Amino acid sequence: MSKRAVDAVFQALFLLSDVRFLLRETAPGHDLDEEQKKRAATTLEKVKRQVAILEEELIR
Amino acid sequence: MKCAIDIESRDVEEMYINIDPIQAGGRLTADAMKAAISFADGYSVCDNCRSPFRLDYIQNPPIAQFHADLAAWLNMDTARVVPGARRGFQAVASTYVEKGDPVILTSLAHYTEFLAIEEAGGIPREIPKDAKNHITPDAVAEKIEAVIREFSKTPPLLFVDHVDYQFGNVHDVAAITKVAHQYDIPVLVNGAYTVGIMPVDGKALGADFVIGSGHKSMAAPAPSGVLATTNEHAERVFRTTQAKGDVTGRTFGIKEVEMMGCTLMGVTVVGMMASFPHVKERVKRWDTEVAHSQAVIDALLSIEGTTVLSDYPRQHTLTRVDTRGSFDKVAQQHKKRGFFLSSDLKKRGIIGVIPGSTKVWKFNTFGLTEKQIRHIGESFVEIARENGLNIV
Repeated sequence: MSKRAVDAVFQALFLLSDVRFLLRETAPGHDLDEEQKKRAATTLEKVKRQVAILEEELIR
Repeated sequence: MKCAIDIESRDVEEMYINIDPIQAGGRLTADAMKAAISFADGYSVCDNCRSPFRLDYIQNPPIAQFHADLAAWLNMDTARVVPGARRGFQAVASTYVEKGDPVILTSLAHYTEFLAIEEAGGIPREIPKDAKNHITPDAVAEKIEAVIREFSKTPPLLFVDHVDYQFGNVHDVAAITKVAHQYDIPVLVNGAYTVGIMPVDGKALGADFVIGSGHKSMAAPAPSGVLATTNEHAERVFRTTQAKGDVTGRTFGIKEVEMMGCTLMGVTVVGMMASFPHVKERVKRWDTEVAHSQAVIDALLSIEGTTVLSDYPRQHTLTRVDTRGSFDKVAQQHKKRGFFLSSDLKKRGIIGVIPGSTKVWKFNTFGLTEKQIRHIGESFVEIARENGLNIV
């Protein structure tokens, strides 16, 4: 049982939901302002960390 | 992209600005999306259901607390979540209406109010709207008197829409309930277009029942809604089962008859709960939402030949317009006929106007950003200009 992997899946999905919400807020052009770009960058960085955890737990 | 065999992923909210009249208030919050991911399995909220085994008693997730919070927020005494406003109408009508009873509703009522009455065996009688598409207290009194004369009995229930789905007009519910109560008629307030998007105070409205729609106005998955009532009516509408099996002798605890036991056992109730803090906050920004609606209407009214059929200035984000004197004139000559408008809007990233509509149509601007609102207004004007209509 890998609670860490399960948590990482949920965390990544939740973070991607924030990205999805950002796409909605900025539709149809998706022209992000500086604050939104910063928010997107931070969120995507966090997603990468969760994916790294999943690789560690499930593949390596 | 497909999300399953033969099912296309739905990405219209990500790709477009959606002004569909019925979809605006039900768009999920990010938290509701996360809750939906976590609680998507069928009976997902039942992991920690303990005696007395009823949805509104579940502590984890905090569904019991949510019920109490919902009632308090609506300034009512008790609330239950229901699978859509229509199931709330059904529960109340089933409780109060006997076969052959006249039941009063308005000439702007939603069809599900008629169906709830029909299912209970009642006979619907409509209060006429006035020339401004409003239901007035005087019209209510006249109708009650007429119905009493016709049936020789007082109607057991009156339905009124806080905001009607046809025009998005706000009706004087407090004055209407006052009239109905003079005849001892309980009033069901249909808040499908108000609960969750603008402030609603059930006691101030004089409501005996306040019904809201989760998927229409509370940023929740469908089907979801709320039925809230007063202590006076709670025991009756939320009566518990007395049934007993004649062979097995089984009884069914405190399951409520009109709720068919438990109502929303998974993603719907958790979606409502996750959005609830945001919903409580967003109703406080109702003035901004109305201002957005007004901005789009003013852009449309700048197109010669366009009129607004809803109240003006706007008091709601749902609006009915008449473009027979503008866009419909274009449609008569255009190679795409009436489809040109929705097509031109889609090119600009806007959907939600029924394809082919250029005569009388509705839209809803709820929940959009300032930038999106500007884009909608400018797009209507641009389309008008490109098609030779005058901007005044």
